[in-house]
Amino acid sequence: MATKNVLDTVAKKFIQIGLPKDLFERNKFNLLVDRNKIIVRYPAPGVRSEVVETPTGVKTKVYVEPGTKLEEPVTLCFGAAETTEVQTTEGEIVVGEGADVKFQVYGAMAEGIKLKHKNKLKVRVERNARFEFLDLHYNGEDTFVELDTETDAYIGENAYFRSVFKQTRGRAGKVRIVLKAQVDKKGVAVFETKMIGKKDDEIYVEDVIHLNGEESRGISKSRIIAVDETKATFVGETYGNAPRCRGHIDCSEVIRGKDVTVKAVPVVVVNDETAKVTHEAAIGSIDKKQLETLMARGLTEDEAVDVIVQGMLR
Amino acid sequence: MTPILTVNDVKLTIDGRPILKGVNLIVNEGEIHAVLGPNGAGKSTLAGLIMGINDLKEPDSGEIIFQDKLVNGLDITERAKLGITLAWQEPARFEGITVEEYLKLSGRNNPELDVVECLELVGLDCSYLNRFVDDTLSGGERKRVELASVLAMRPKLAVLDEPDSGIDFASMEDIANMIKTMRERGTTVLMITHREEIAEIADKATLMCDGKVVQTGDPKEVGQKFKTMCVKCEVRNPELVGGE
Repeated sequence: MATKNVLDTVAKKFIQIGLPKDLFERNKFNLLVDRNKIIVRYPAPGVRSEVVETPTGVKTKVYVEPGTKLEEPVTLCFGAAETTEVQTTEGEIVVGEGADVKFQVYGAMAEGIKLKHKNKLKVRVERNARFEFLDLHYNGEDTFVELDTETDAYIGENAYFRSVFKQTRGRAGKVRIVLKAQVDKKGVAVFETKMIGKKDDEIYVEDVIHLNGEESRGISKSRIIAVDETKATFVGETYGNAPRCRGHIDCSEVIRGKDVTVKAVPVVVVNDETAKVTHEAAIGSIDKKQLETLMARGLTEDEAVDVIVQGMLR
Repeated sequence: MTPILTVNDVKLTIDGRPILKGVNLIVNEGEIHAVLGPNGAGKSTLAGLIMGINDLKEPDSGEIIFQDKLVNGLDITERAKLGITLAWQEPARFEGITVEEYLKLSGRNNPELDVVECLELVGLDCSYLNRFVDDTLSGGERKRVELASVLAMRPKLAVLDEPDSGIDFASMEDIANMIKTMRERGTTVLMITHREEIAEIADKATLMCDGKVVQTGDPKEVGQKFKTMCVKCEVRNPELVGGE
């Protein structure tokens, strides 16, 4: 475990790029990793974990005991305070039957650094459990990260899994996010991606939801704001494989700039006559009426755009 | 009587079609002024020109003067900073913005802003503060939030485009009271409507038809003229009943 000096240095760099100061002041982290070093580790009640440092990152295994209900989120941070060639994180999370927990995971890449971050995560949400995974990314304006992350989730009978990937500050960099879910009977999977791309950022998001159980539900939602020369692609695939399952894909992307390219590809496949999967996709500039409404209240055009964008990314 | 808004011989053509054909209008400080007229009369276009929305920054000819300042060519923000605002017939919906945030943004230059009071004045309680200004609000609720945002801003002139549309008959009195409250708080109200019942709360009314002002005066008389003449006219001249 690191000394207080190391923690202070990391804290300073992460707060600089927007991580809430409160997280450090009130020692809220259950796990804080800088590149491949564990800086803070503090157990959460009802949550067993193994964390191992590897030459390029960490491997984690987390088991949430059945029936565990936590009011406070389990707070984790995987970041890099200095440039390093590559950071790899691998994880497995099992949420036991009937548990109800939220993980708040911060990805923090300090100002000015360059690195490749690879992440693989397996999630298993057991019967009647509820699991929210909030993946909040903070990058500096001069940071460049190549992020490649894959999540594979199984959602058991009557279980609920919500995964939110959010990057609303700094540059996105070159990003590939793939989220896959297999959903059992009456299970629910909700995938949300909210990102802003600037300069020549490249964003690729792929959500794949297989609704395999009767009356299972899936929602795939993306909000990407593409500015300057950003290239962004959202692929949403939902497979309605079981009786009375319901799926919906909702992508709404905003473009700001002449050299932006945004592509949305909804794929809906239904293999059961009682299943229903729908989609809606919209790509365009900021809604004019929203803009004019805020300007009529005295906001400048830039202020109004900022309010609208931050609302969409919320 | 001090004029706060003067519309002087305003003409506007859109896509080769004359929409406003020399409109003259004076709105005095502190009054509620109703603009009545059938669909296609040019009422909403006039409202748009006053606020500068929908690319209606200036007329082809004529002047729009707000408190001795020519507002032709000013952008929306500049007009808002002078003290003009507009409430849309169908207000915009905002993803991820709460009612409280929306009211605080609207009233950010109002030192006496009380968002709870603004909501109460439009018949909504404080449970609405955390609601989002999105599709989860009904049309009537959204309309009330829009009027609350005008109360929050406390402008010198509020242009209300059809504040009564989509409102059930039972709530009409509420809307009338909200408009009166705006006036009591120092806001002059220019209200666009095609319902003479709501126009009757005004101090003065103007009847528009086919891009021109037909009559200005007592709201009851103007409302009566609208009722007896314009309704028949719509039936006789269906070409006048177009979209605005």
